[in-house]
Amino acid sequence: MTGSASLRAALAVPLLAIALTVGLSAESRAEYADVVLNRNAEKEGMRPVVFPHWFHRIRFRCKVCHAELGFKMRAGSNLVTMGDIIDGRFCGACHNGQIAWAPENCDLCHSGKPGLPPGIFGGHETNGPGIW
Amino acid sequence: MIRTLRNPAVALGALCCTLFATGTALAQQDKGKAVYDKVCVACHSAGIAGAPRLGDAKAWAPRIKTGIDTLYGSALKGKAPAMPAKGGATDLPDADIKAAVDYMVAAAKDGGSGAAATAPAAAAPAAAAAAATKPRPAALSFNRLLKPASKRNPPPPEDGIHDPQNDGTHALQPPLQVFESLPRSNAGNRVDWVKALDNNLIAPRWDRTDPAAAPVVMDLNIVREVKGSMPDVVYPHKQHTAWLDCSNCHPQIFIPQKGANQISMAAILLGQKCGVCHGKVAFPVSECRICHSKKKNVMPVKNAQAN
Repeated sequence: MTGSASLRAALAVPLLAIALTVGLSAESRAEYADVVLNRNAEKEGMRPVVFPHWFHRIRFRCKVCHAELGFKMRAGSNLVTMGDIIDGRFCGACHNGQIAWAPENCDLCHSGKPGLPPGIFGGHETNGPGIW
Repeated sequence: MIRTLRNPAVALGALCCTLFATGTALAQQDKGKAVYDKVCVACHSAGIAGAPRLGDAKAWAPRIKTGIDTLYGSALKGKAPAMPAKGGATDLPDADIKAAVDYMVAAAKDGGSGAAATAPAAAAPAAAAAAATKPRPAALSFNRLLKPASKRNPPPPEDGIHDPQNDGTHALQPPLQVFESLPRSNAGNRVDWVKALDNNLIAPRWDRTDPAAAPVVMDLNIVREVKGSMPDVVYPHKQHTAWLDCSNCHPQIFIPQKGANQISMAAILLGQKCGVCHGKVAFPVSECRICHSKKKNVMPVKNAQAN
């Protein structure tokens, strides 16, 4: 029992190191305002979701998602599930095969590196909880 | 060789013919590549919906066996389940589509061997260059923490958060493809989004479904006097209401009443007030003078002399 525990610990250290390196290098190169959603994805066996703000703001004004669709303006405060999306809430309000492509293109959203923590990436300069 | 030298006219003619033939073949190849890069790439680079990938010899081999005319036919008329006629670009002439097919078939035949053949050729000048300028350790590089222009806005497979192993990653739009046509700025995405919108270079929808809906823009500047030596802040409702709804900021972030909002740079850096967006998705706080833009009333001359 102790043997397997120490083995697990021995494995965990390099894994943690890798995860940290991935996390750090990611922050320096990701596009400004890219958001990683990973509260459910990896638990459910999918890659984390990467949401690119830049791509969407070329096509929609902020207000469409942040006022109409109910996305709160703080990374980590929106628990989006595939059930919601298929029912037409959150991403599913547009990603329904009519305004934008339908949710069956799993790997276009679920395209993040495994192990990424949820949050906003890409050289942001403000931090902390905020009020949203 | 000697014989051709004896008859320079023949030699010249032969040379011209060869050059012409190579020229047209190259032009054809370039055309094929251009069409591929514009149209076919959407599916054939990532292998979306079962499309054989460019250069994937294994996937192409059984298709090439059916004959080039069958492939031309599939490309021109479309093929179940997902290949549209002419890859969706029905306005292109047949010859262009055929050139693209030729290009992809050639790439598949090259497969690994093509890449292997070009690699040593490319490696030779690289090695020469490396010998001339010995690479310095990264710790000695100039502006170590400042990203060079070539490292900015990388395409998704190289940006460090997308998984390059994932097929979908390669189908995503690279930011620079769009940013090149937009006004640049010095921070954030390095795009001046406000200018891009003002100049109609982008047309983001105001309504989810109605492309014609337009925002009600409110042109009202709020001047906030600041305590320190920085210029006063001018807050323009105009640029904000072009993107946002009143309810995005009022009343939760900013109480819509004069003097009711205490704002400090500390709060902004903690992600409150302006920092809800600025520094995360709107231009960051390093761009001081975009907000701190109103020159303070200069001190009376008498006081200035006293100092």
